[in-house]
Amino acid sequence: MNAQPDIGDIGRPASNHPLAGQAMTGADIVVQVIADEGLDVLFGYSGGAILPVYDALFRYNQTHTLDDGGERLPLIVPANEQGACFMAAGYARASGRVGVALVTSGPGATNAVTPVRDSMADSIPLVVICGQVPTGAIGTDAFQEAPIGTIMGACAKHVFLVTDASTLEATLRTAFHIARSGRPGPVVVDIPKDVQNAPLVFHGERELPVRGYRARLHAVESATPDDDACRVFFAALAAAERPLIYAGGGIVSAEAADALRDFSQAFGVPVVTTLMGIGGVDTTDPLALGMLGMHGTAYANYAMDDCDFVFALGARFDDRVVGVPDKFAPKARTIAQIDIDPAEIGKVKAAHWHHVGSLDVSLRALTAYGRDIGFAPDRRAWHAHVTALKAAHPMNFCRDGDLIQPCAVIEAINRITGGHAIITTGVGQHQMWAAQYFDFREPRRWLTSGSMGTMGFGLPAAIGAQFARRDLTVIDVDGDASIRMNIGELETVTTYGLPVKIVVLNNAGDGMVRQWQKLFFRGRFSASDKSLHKKDFVRAAQADGFEWARRLDDAAQLEATIADFLAFDGPAFLEVVIDPDAGVYPMVGPGASYAEMITGEWIPSRHVPVAHEAEPTGMF
Amino acid sequence: MRHLISMLLQNEAGALARVAGLFASRGYNIESLTVAATHDEAVSRLTLVVFGDDITVDQVVKQTAKLVDVIDVAELTRRDHLERELSVVRVEGDGEAIDRYLARAGARLLQRDGGHSIVEYTGRTDDVDGFIDGLRNVADIADHARSGVAAIERVPTALPDLSRA
Repeated sequence: MNAQPDIGDIGRPASNHPLAGQAMTGADIVVQVIADEGLDVLFGYSGGAILPVYDALFRYNQTHTLDDGGERLPLIVPANEQGACFMAAGYARASGRVGVALVTSGPGATNAVTPVRDSMADSIPLVVICGQVPTGAIGTDAFQEAPIGTIMGACAKHVFLVTDASTLEATLRTAFHIARSGRPGPVVVDIPKDVQNAPLVFHGERELPVRGYRARLHAVESATPDDDACRVFFAALAAAERPLIYAGGGIVSAEAADALRDFSQAFGVPVVTTLMGIGGVDTTDPLALGMLGMHGTAYANYAMDDCDFVFALGARFDDRVVGVPDKFAPKARTIAQIDIDPAEIGKVKAAHWHHVGSLDVSLRALTAYGRDIGFAPDRRAWHAHVTALKAAHPMNFCRDGDLIQPCAVIEAINRITGGHAIITTGVGQHQMWAAQYFDFREPRRWLTSGSMGTMGFGLPAAIGAQFARRDLTVIDVDGDASIRMNIGELETVTTYGLPVKIVVLNNAGDGMVRQWQKLFFRGRFSASDKSLHKKDFVRAAQADGFEWARRLDDAAQLEATIADFLAFDGPAFLEVVIDPDAGVYPMVGPGASYAEMITGEWIPSRHVPVAHEAEPTGMF
Repeated sequence: MRHLISMLLQNEAGALARVAGLFASRGYNIESLTVAATHDEAVSRLTLVVFGDDITVDQVVKQTAKLVDVIDVAELTRRDHLERELSVVRVEGDGEAIDRYLARAGARLLQRDGGHSIVEYTGRTDDVDGFIDGLRNVADIADHARSGVAAIERVPTALPDLSRA
């Protein structure tokens, strides 16, 4: 464990950058590095400690225009820094590129904490640049000072506090590298105001050594399963009769959807996905079984109960998927796992076979090996079993009655968009219904706060996604409680004339909380009821400039209203008054196994329903 | 189970806090923690002792290995290693009795001012414990500072050579 000379300093004396050697302030360098990274939009809210960067950006955009006269680096201003960072995250999730937010010190930076943690938990590449009080004032309780290094250090993939101005350029470039490489994540760069104002020379290419990180990254990026590993893998797969792929968000992060489809089809292995893995496989594919877990499809969960080989791909056996680890995949004789993060291997369930490396490269290597050895087992019995599960336990809900069912709203939208729109959500029942009832044909069409479960994600994420994909319809499927959390961003939609479609499924409260209170707290609806709230969502949207803003409460008007809503050429807001008692089913209760899954009234269960323990639970 | 974890850290602001935070956030009480620059001033060595079950500590070590500031990390408990801890103690008592004890224990006298002595002892953690216990028999302990454990592997090649990565 001897320290070695720097190996990561890839700075070269003669840079090819046309601006190399030019005198710039720190703030100019911030803007130039962002431009060099290929960003075409930034999100941020100004304030005292970030003013030099905002000024540099203004000057940059004065001299750098697009052919249509637009700014080269437009800055989108939200209502709140949380909005800015979720917009950057929505941009990153929809595009696969690094999203960037610029915020000021103190409250600006602390408002960014939630989206930074959210992005860490879902492995989303983000660079958040925070102003900080001048170096000499740090630690004096100065105006708008907060200990961002400490706060963000516990939340982000990494945080840099730039105290030496000469390292600013290399630090910024390294921040982008760390955000996008390996298991992606958010990187925070905290820049004191005096560093922004420092007279510096631009180098054009330089990064920090971060040699431990680079060495580990090099090791995982260059790792492919060798022939021995492939042989062992295929021997186990050959011995299995009922193999199942359990695909997580890593498939999307690694752009490995094609490799997954090839593997699945080449060897006839059906696929279940996590919430974050949705879109990693075409949900309309016969071998796709949809989402598994707490609110997964009954047939996905039954398939997991029945399978004898689990192939976990970029999935981390989260408690919302696994429930009780000892009872998860109880018949699996082999658990095989590929992840880019060594800490995920065997974290919850021991893996019999594993590989640490890029999912895309690894899956392709396995597929090639399997084809070379002519691996073609007869999976007809297993496929018939899976098909029968789908036929016997389909997703369903109450299809008659006067009240509008939320799932009917989603089905109606889905009939029009056909799985090609970008869907964002808040968190709660509407999020689960959207996950269950939309088709997703491709990755990066489903943007949701998976691990953190941050209410208020949907609207700003939709704004960011629309900037990333101006060619696609972006729909925020939200709840009445979730949208309140960042409702100030309604104005941002109209300010920038974005054709974002917002549909609020209004059940007058925190529906998921109510569902748990009904099941586990004997119907004591503590603080989850909003039926006495006076908010008029349509007028709120109109006040924020929505020309198309309507309320739908007549089931007979559902199809026509949704068609009109989606066809509107511009921002549109639709509030749908839904059945307040609609629940999310299936449901595997907290701390329960799949065998105890409740499928509800409308989805046939293959077990005799288990009598429900209506006791408060220690599980969360 | 006692775990002795050694790591090389980039000598950056906040690096120590991030490592300590990973252990603290899991409710571990860090038994001892030492950090100091190595012969390469850009690199610090951190040595940490925690008690916990193997699986959980193993997971924290894996999480630690993901920190950008961490250059390398190893659990020395499972490797052949040497560890030492420094103890500096202020005692009150008879100088001759103290001197006899120090000679027997292999400790040193750093300072004497009348009945007050400051003594130094270096050894394994349990040796230091034993030294302190014995010291109580010959003097009253007024103040006491321990350095925490510094440790190093006996065989230098057990970890990967980063320059070839």
